[in-house]
Amino acid sequence: MSVANSSNLSGCQINDTTVKPGYVWQDVTEDFMKASSDLDLGELLHDCSFGLFEAMSAIEMMDPKMDAGMMCNQIKRKVLTFEQAVEAGQLKVNNFTAAELIGVMDATMACLVTWLEGHSLAQTVFTNLFLHNPYIIEDRTLKAFSICMLKIVDVIRERVNRASVFEEEDFQPMSYGFKMAYDLTDVRTTGMMKEVEEELNKTLRSTRSKPGEERGSAVEQEHNLAQAVYSRVKFYRLFYSLLVIYTKEKLFQSDCIPQAQKILSQLEELISSIKATISYGIQPAEREATKNDYPTIVGFEPLINQRLLPPTFPRYTVIKDRSEAILYVEELVHHLNIVTTLPDITSLHAILDLFMEFSKSSPCVLARSILQLAVLPTNRRVFGNQPIVEYMKDTIRNFIAPPALSAKCSLHNNSQAKEYVDALLSQAVRPICTLIQITGHNRARQRDKWAHVLEELANLQEEADKVDAYLHGILVKTEPSRNHLACFGTWVLYHSLQSMIYYTLSGFELELYALYEYHYVYWYLHELLFAWLVSTLHRADNFLLENDMASDPAQKGRSNKKNKKKKRTKTLSKEITIAQAQQQMFGGYYKAVVGFRLSGKMNQPSFDFDCEEVRYSHRFAPFANVVTPPMVHYAQYKEMSDLRRYEPEPTAFDVYGSACKCFHQAKALLESLPVQTEEIQTLIKIAKTNFVVMKLLVGGHKKDSVTPPDFDFSQHRVYPIIKVL
Amino acid sequence: MATEISNQTKEDPGLNSGRRKLQKWLNKSMKICMTDGRTLIGIFLCTDRDRNVILGSCEEYLKSPDSGEKEEPRILGLAMIPGHHIISIHVDEDRSLTYNWNMDTS
Repeated sequence: MSVANSSNLSGCQINDTTVKPGYVWQDVTEDFMKASSDLDLGELLHDCSFGLFEAMSAIEMMDPKMDAGMMCNQIKRKVLTFEQAVEAGQLKVNNFTAAELIGVMDATMACLVTWLEGHSLAQTVFTNLFLHNPYIIEDRTLKAFSICMLKIVDVIRERVNRASVFEEEDFQPMSYGFKMAYDLTDVRTTGMMKEVEEELNKTLRSTRSKPGEERGSAVEQEHNLAQAVYSRVKFYRLFYSLLVIYTKEKLFQSDCIPQAQKILSQLEELISSIKATISYGIQPAEREATKNDYPTIVGFEPLINQRLLPPTFPRYTVIKDRSEAILYVEELVHHLNIVTTLPDITSLHAILDLFMEFSKSSPCVLARSILQLAVLPTNRRVFGNQPIVEYMKDTIRNFIAPPALSAKCSLHNNSQAKEYVDALLSQAVRPICTLIQITGHNRARQRDKWAHVLEELANLQEEADKVDAYLHGILVKTEPSRNHLACFGTWVLYHSLQSMIYYTLSGFELELYALYEYHYVYWYLHELLFAWLVSTLHRADNFLLENDMASDPAQKGRSNKKNKKKKRTKTLSKEITIAQAQQQMFGGYYKAVVGFRLSGKMNQPSFDFDCEEVRYSHRFAPFANVVTPPMVHYAQYKEMSDLRRYEPEPTAFDVYGSACKCFHQAKALLESLPVQTEEIQTLIKIAKTNFVVMKLLVGGHKKDSVTPPDFDFSQHRVYPIIKVL
Repeated sequence: MATEISNQTKEDPGLNSGRRKLQKWLNKSMKICMTDGRTLIGIFLCTDRDRNVILGSCEEYLKSPDSGEKEEPRILGLAMIPGHHIISIHVDEDRSLTYNWNMDTS
């Protein structure tokens, strides 16, 4: 407050330390009661600027769901800060037993895991009082551990924030102003941990069983405890080092990856030894646990930060069990392994495929963030060294080989053409990065995001078509035999279609579709999305072939063998086969559903106010923003899927028969793939089973049953096994 | 609604002295002690017949500020205190705080 302002307040007492005005309180309790009883029932007395709407957003005091401060007053125990507890002699800072150390470390890990699962830092990790001020801890092991833990928390928070592939349900980024040992460097932190390790090593050596010497049980016990502490200290040091390595921008250039690999294998070993010794740590005393207050071990205070929380906040944080926490960390370490497999990836499409595959295992927010940042670190270069545009060019060359991106084409030296291409590609950076980022989000959120990115891709598509047309105009003047039509456009279309497919398929995984909706969802996938995808890939593949030869006319004269070899390195045949197989699968499902409907096994429930058109439009609403492929509206769908178009009108058996063919074809296509991944094998099995089921139906199996069939998603989240009941 | 009240006040002033008193306190600082011992200080914005009070820019103190112990308040913002949890109400009478608070928020 400025001087001028304070002089205005000359009449009131001004507290010299704070600028807050001193109050002159006057007790009006009685008056107030009397006055308020004059009001009518339901009448609110308020100023004109304050209305019922504002009143609704007030938090209600003394309501356990809204009032965080209430908790502090309801327990009898006094909540002390770290310093207060030490001063009062309730908490020691030295001479911790090994069992205590193990307990504290494991309980802290449980808190860390709970935080990573989406709870607030204040209610999890910082219920550990030692972390509030590790500098006053005298015990060296605990001090080093506490500092290392703070550093770990800090680096995790930084990574997750930076990657920003989380939503509020994944992660709470607030740090509540806790100090994360910023004054100590990474090297100093790991150094402290190493010193402790060496000290423990001495104990280990002196208590080791020596040949010819009888070791007392007390010594043996001491040895085991020291070993357990040692594994933990080493684990946290290495875990921290791993995270630090992963923060490097040039992760793939120096020897970071081999280092990370070494650490990861060490961590795995340490985890198993930690797992085996969880019971060594001290356990919380048996005390009555309430929702907000629960028994803890030395140094933990669940309510210490209650007053830091915003007024409205989830109160109820259950800290994970220690043994569950270590399993979680084990999975995390396993997931972090994926980063070391990245350097072999050379195209954007392969990155997207890998990320989608990774996402299917539902990795935690930290693993997702680290993976994202490994591919696109803060310098916004792919793998930290390649500009995104360059990487995109390589990818497009491998996808459709546009003449404009070929060094041997006349367009290459045309400055105007170059400018157009560069403009288009820099416009593509944003949506392409968004695609990568979407795969980093949690599974449920991805659906919204796929829908959202379609708009951006549609704009890019429009732009790409214009650029293609322009480039084509220039190209035919110099090289009349070649064309540049829908070249970049095809590439963008490929991504639009992929996004649409991911969007639609995620509905199965999230169990959004009801049984009676299957027919149009399957129809859309079979007749539209995958049909377009297959033709788009075919087009790109033909282009690849054409332009590869055109760009290298010298090769024409050379031996046929060599030419063939070259062709094989650049082909989309694998993508085409998979897309065709998927198209056939959905064709099979669609026809099966039609058959079920014809034979009365799947009846449309007749709800009041139900309208299939509304549901249909809602399911495919995001596709309305996309120009190519055009949205198929409900009326069109009805017309196109009308069986009366066929002469004679097919029976249920006919339809089962063609479903049978579809599944058979899908199986054959999948089996033709040279590399059989686990996923492909599962799909083959599903196609085979469904084929048999359809065959049985053609033969009249369960002909008269009207029980709806069961779609069993236990083998695969998207492709069910049909079971006739 | 506010206009309704003021109209009524004009019509029969005798009956509504309570209303007028409450109106006078609107937008002034108010200190409320609750049944669980906490004290809330904020701007009096709204009340009803059951003495449910809404305070704006509300701060929560665990102990009474008069006890002499310095204590960082917790900022609650807009808070509604149910009438049956109110033990005592104090109003900062001496000066018009409407003016002062406007300055604080500016």
